[in-house]
Amino acid sequence: MSPVADDGRISTEVLVVGSGAGGAPTAALLAEAGFDVTVLEEGAMVRQGEVVPFSLDQMDRQYRAGGVTAALGRPAIAYTEGCCAGGGTEINSGLYRRPPEEVLERWRRVHRVADLASADVETICDEVERELSVQTVPGAQTPASEALRRGAAALGWRHDEIPRWMTYPDGTAATAGRRQSMTETYLPRAERAGARLLTGHRVDRLVLERGRAVRAEVTAGDRPVTVEFDHVVVCGGAIQSPALLQRSGLRRNVGRTLAVHPTVKVAARFTDAVNVPDDVPVHQVKEFAPDLSFGGSASNPGLVALALSDSWSRFGPAITEWRHVSVYYAAITSEGRGWVQAVPGLRDPVVTYRLTRKDRAVLARGLARLALLLLEAGAVEVYPSYRDAPVVRARRDLAAVQGTYATTRASVMTVHLCSTVPIGETPAAAADSHGLVHGTANVRVHDASLLPDAPGVNPQASVMAMAIRNTRHLIATVAR
Amino acid sequence: MARSTAFPEAAGRRRPLAGGPARLPAASIAGFCDELLVHDLPDLPAERRAAVVAFAGRRIAGLPTPMRLGVGAVAALVGALARVIGRTRTVGLLAARPLPVFGEYVRLVRSLGYAYVWETWPATTPTGGPGEPGG
Repeated sequence: MSPVADDGRISTEVLVVGSGAGGAPTAALLAEAGFDVTVLEEGAMVRQGEVVPFSLDQMDRQYRAGGVTAALGRPAIAYTEGCCAGGGTEINSGLYRRPPEEVLERWRRVHRVADLASADVETICDEVERELSVQTVPGAQTPASEALRRGAAALGWRHDEIPRWMTYPDGTAATAGRRQSMTETYLPRAERAGARLLTGHRVDRLVLERGRAVRAEVTAGDRPVTVEFDHVVVCGGAIQSPALLQRSGLRRNVGRTLAVHPTVKVAARFTDAVNVPDDVPVHQVKEFAPDLSFGGSASNPGLVALALSDSWSRFGPAITEWRHVSVYYAAITSEGRGWVQAVPGLRDPVVTYRLTRKDRAVLARGLARLALLLLEAGAVEVYPSYRDAPVVRARRDLAAVQGTYATTRASVMTVHLCSTVPIGETPAAAADSHGLVHGTANVRVHDASLLPDAPGVNPQASVMAMAIRNTRHLIATVAR
Repeated sequence: MARSTAFPEAAGRRRPLAGGPARLPAASIAGFCDELLVHDLPDLPAERRAAVVAFAGRRIAGLPTPMRLGVGAVAALVGALARVIGRTRTVGLLAARPLPVFGEYVRLVRSLGYAYVWETWPATTPTGGPGEPGG
């Protein structure tokens, strides 16, 4: 039976906006606690196996704006957002890192996040890891991943294999894994407990009366829908959540502190075939963490061409050997900050990001060190992704990289967006320690927006842990 | 309670948000994309080039609203320049001397084009030729 009445109205106890790493566990726990829950997801339901990972087809069907989104700045920083059932968990690398202890300590001390005992977070992470089958690859790594390990080992740099939320039902090969994303785990759990998931429903704004949100104005295709609720949990991600709050008139500290992990890329060509078009390497190099870390990117032939495109006249010939080429990244923990600003009358917000001088220096250093690592791993040529870059064939060429690199020439990208509705008990926070948005009695945020700052590691575990923690607080404290 | 006067929707008046196709200078974008492909990938067959141009046009039409407005403005200026000095010279100029903002437009169109070409036809040569089957 459709939950939408003939007059386009839905009534629910808790509305969850978004179905990704924050929204899905929030919905599951609330439904299992007996709440009447409705999850609205703007994107479509796309089952695993329907699209090839990291392909243009996947971008069409599961990414916002086909994957073509950017934060304005010098340079502009390309980013991606999931827009589908399961959100970013359906499209990301599936790599899993618990929030490091020093990050939790910083959130407690600097951002004054209350009730954030490390032991409690660890217990929640244990639970998440069981639910998502977090594990390392049981068999051999991909050649592209092995290259990272080999290069780091040769230099004596700290590195490790990052566990993924994967099962390996058909064998032990790294590429045989099945992603345990939200559509495979928490969303079915939420539906089994009675939650309703409606895809293709975009929340345009929340309507507040005397500090309390009472209904959401929603568009489903061309049809207006109104959802009335007692509580709303916004989980649309670090761009859409602050934009929705701003459109709803909630702007105190909202959208002013966008944090990302900016990355620059290089492609590397080896004598042997290393390319795995539909998967990413699982090793990361953390010798210079948290300031700087190295890892591997998706490398289908289109993405290899993209990585070579900034200096095509020099790099282009490598595309004929794309099976021998893989793409790698250097990611930094940035000092810079960005803005998300909803614009009256426009559907999408303006997003900006400004890199600091230190950020630019670390990116330059990172690019050179990554090129060195790949040479040590046996790469015959390394192609840095910035305009007019040289081909790196030996250590002596690294000086030319440092001499010609400028961040404004580089293709800078990011995938880890967070901290646009930061929680805590400082004047800079936009929500309290459990995600209740300032100025409201019943609007909460449970996604990457609420992280007080960038964790310096893949953030999905941090997002899920905080969402579960806050959901349990909500269940324990709301009057029913 | 925080309420915004800048957002009429927050004051309780329901008004559709502009998210659909804004008026993009589609012909200018298509012409620029086509010429950029000729410049970068001279051996790309015409029918493939047409497919790439159509793909890039779809992606640009689907950009988030503020980006689409910005790209539309730059594309209009580039189109005006092309009418004065010719499309080939315009592309040559912008490809050789990437200017702020205009350089981002070139990078956007080029990125879309290259990603589509090599994902769709991985055997394509660096100059756009069809390459060896299975290559």
